[in-house]
Amino acid sequence: MKLRKELWFGFALMAIIITPSLVFMPWGNITNGHLGLLMLALIVVAIMLGFPTAFTLMGMGVFFSWLYYRSVDPQLAVQQVLDLFVQRTYGVMSNDVLIAIPLFLFMGYLVERAKLIDRLFRSLHLATAGVPGSLAVATIVTCAIFATATGIVGAVVTLMGLLAFPAMLKAGYNVKIAAGAVTAGGCLGILIPPSVLLIVYGAVAGVSVVQLYAGAFLPGFMLAGLYIGYVILLAKWKPHLMPPLAESERYVPLPPLAQRLAQQNRNALIGLWRALTGGAGAGVAKHTVLGQFFVALLPALVIVAILGVTYQAVTAPVIEASTAGLVEAGGLVAAPVEEQESTGLIGAPEAEADKSGVQEPPAEGAKEVAPPPAAEAAKPEVVETTAAAELERLPAPTWFWVVCGIAIALLAIRYRRLNWQRLEIFKMLLTSFFPLALMILAVLGSIVVGLATPSEAAAVGAFGGFILAGAYRFIAYWQEGKSSGKNTGKVIWSTVKELGVIVKESSFLTAKTSAMVCWLFVGSGIFAAAFALLGGQELIEKWVLSLDMTPLQFMILAQFIIFILGWPLEWTEIIIIFMPIFIPLLQHFNIDPLFFGLLVALNLQTAFLSPPVAMAAFYLKGVSPPHVTLNQIFAGMMPFMGIQVIALILLYTFPQIGLWLPQVFYNK
Amino acid sequence: MQKLLLFIDKLSTWVGQAFSFCIVVLTLHISWEVFSRYVLDAPRAWAFDFMIMMYGTLFMMAGAYALSKNSHVRGDVLYGFFRPRTQATLDLTLYFVFFIPGVIALTYAGYTYAADSWRISEHSTITYEGPPIYPFKTVIPLAGAFLMAQGIVEIVRCIICLKQGEWPSRQLDVEEVDVDKLKEELHVKDEDIQKLDKYVVQQERHK
Repeated sequence: MKLRKELWFGFALMAIIITPSLVFMPWGNITNGHLGLLMLALIVVAIMLGFPTAFTLMGMGVFFSWLYYRSVDPQLAVQQVLDLFVQRTYGVMSNDVLIAIPLFLFMGYLVERAKLIDRLFRSLHLATAGVPGSLAVATIVTCAIFATATGIVGAVVTLMGLLAFPAMLKAGYNVKIAAGAVTAGGCLGILIPPSVLLIVYGAVAGVSVVQLYAGAFLPGFMLAGLYIGYVILLAKWKPHLMPPLAESERYVPLPPLAQRLAQQNRNALIGLWRALTGGAGAGVAKHTVLGQFFVALLPALVIVAILGVTYQAVTAPVIEASTAGLVEAGGLVAAPVEEQESTGLIGAPEAEADKSGVQEPPAEGAKEVAPPPAAEAAKPEVVETTAAAELERLPAPTWFWVVCGIAIALLAIRYRRLNWQRLEIFKMLLTSFFPLALMILAVLGSIVVGLATPSEAAAVGAFGGFILAGAYRFIAYWQEGKSSGKNTGKVIWSTVKELGVIVKESSFLTAKTSAMVCWLFVGSGIFAAAFALLGGQELIEKWVLSLDMTPLQFMILAQFIIFILGWPLEWTEIIIIFMPIFIPLLQHFNIDPLFFGLLVALNLQTAFLSPPVAMAAFYLKGVSPPHVTLNQIFAGMMPFMGIQVIALILLYTFPQIGLWLPQVFYNK
Repeated sequence: MQKLLLFIDKLSTWVGQAFSFCIVVLTLHISWEVFSRYVLDAPRAWAFDFMIMMYGTLFMMAGAYALSKNSHVRGDVLYGFFRPRTQATLDLTLYFVFFIPGVIALTYAGYTYAADSWRISEHSTITYEGPPIYPFKTVIPLAGAFLMAQGIVEIVRCIICLKQGEWPSRQLDVEEVDVDKLKEELHVKDEDIQKLDKYVVQQERHK
């Protein structure tokens, strides 16, 4: 039989694992511990043979635990194995951590079928149009949001491969960079909560999923930020790789109302205000203008509201903290931080929009320089009067005023630059970006602040996904119906019908995927029990401790092993089968299992981008034009993989990136 | 014989799909429970037990369904490179070595476990006067039995593959990444992708 290179490699790998375990086995006096180690070596090989892993684990576990019980008492062996097995299985069935898995999966499938990714991408790419490498930036942001909500790597990469990849190629982007942005962005969902990986890790390691979520939040966004920073820098440095968009590509068609008003005033806010107060807006319906004006004011209102709430929260505890206990104070301190988070997030796209203004062609910029003074004066005033009213109550800490000042400054800049195009873009974002972002923030926020358990938040999130899918389908049908003259009843009926299909398909997929993950737990339950019974764990612990490693060495070794395992195995298998071996070792080296989990999550994400098994590349290849080769895609992924390694090092050197939020919230 | 196997295959799919609606019930149940607790201030004592039961039943009963649709995760490093006959030989052997002993043990142990629970009409102890738990424990032998039946179908599939040299096709089902459907959703046609090729070729020429 002629063997291919890959096969040779695989068999060589198997031999490397099996041979030493056979050679070093003390054949004369085999103890149970040695059997345990043999079992571990065999399972790696057996998994590589390609049989469904859950059942491989089951078979091995049953056999080896029987071997153990037989060595103790041959009479009772079978009964004991059966009891052990069924108890382990029941333990998985009644595990209150794993219950969140099907719920988050369900939420993901529902959101994915809401068909909002093209809206999301279109509005984001218009919003970032002025940033260097705007399409790649928009791709990564879209991926981050969408992958976070769905967590399905394959679907996100395929969708973006159909949507963003062609757009980037048409705009003359380098193939490698375009491929890298799509694949790297699509994998972000593995790390950014609510990710299933973290739930599985939490269940295996006995770490609170809530804390894991709080911890993974910043590293996840740090990684996304590093990607974006890399793309922007590269676009600045080598513009020919990512040429700026043509004017026609970023043209936003204005509705008739805006067109008429735009002739009178370039600034949308002032234009609307004048139209509203009567003077200039002749021939335009008042209530439409009022609606537009309200939309334009929305960011200001939100920021004022957030600042107000924050102010309350910051100034209030001074009285309460003295009477209330530590727990209460902890909760109150937690609140403003969360507010800050959300301010930052909502503010981000605006800030980007502002930057875009700066880099626009000078001709346009020159016109914009003449600032309508009224806007500047009017805006801060609103904020300041509210703030001033509250000033009489209690002094707020300095950082609050700093944040307040920054917010006002950003608002002022934003409104000064708010022309009619920007207003349209903002409206597009309002219907695509913000609902999803708000939903994710609500789900995560309620978990992290401690309002809801992960499973509760996941269920509510799934319900939110259902409503989201319904709303977007309804809007699509409604717009379709308006042009073809269908009545509302028919529109609702077709929405309900499609929603039924969406729920049905999502349920089936949820059932299959959760069966896959949870049966793996059933199999590993008996397997891990057998391993522990045989004393394999003790042997490994003794051996690792005899190596006399420093915590740093141990950490690097562990992460390296996990990285290597990520090559032949899926993350589910790595965490469910191999984490139980690492976790007990952590306490010897004084490593926080929470911190270790964050590193593992970041590490396993790298596995998704490491050739030649990187799934993301194959999904992209499946939908890209024939001349794009796998090698090009792999080459494009390389820099992003490098960034992941940098992120891993950053997280290791500055554990606070991951541990700060859990500390703030849970005094960990 | 052939008919019976096809029937079992369909049955596991049907059962798995029927029980997959547990997730809808679970979602609605928890959403209502959250609303009821925070807004109406009226938590229900059995809510947690019910949650666990829905989740456990969902994934256990979907085991055979996932097997019938080949959704259980496999170590894919080498397997994908094997020819179908090699794959079938390996699978066939491992079904007898790992699958059958494991699943028989599960079914039998689950049977006695559930029988004990029925005998004492066991109730949940999480809350005072918890709901009965014996139906939930019955899920274990039931899921095991369906899995076993589906396993036999898979074994026959391996044998067919060994004879014919290629895998018999599986029934179609909804997939996680259905490229054609996604293309349709975004109104992307194959010609559009073909047209993009010129940009790629252009780039290569520039180098």
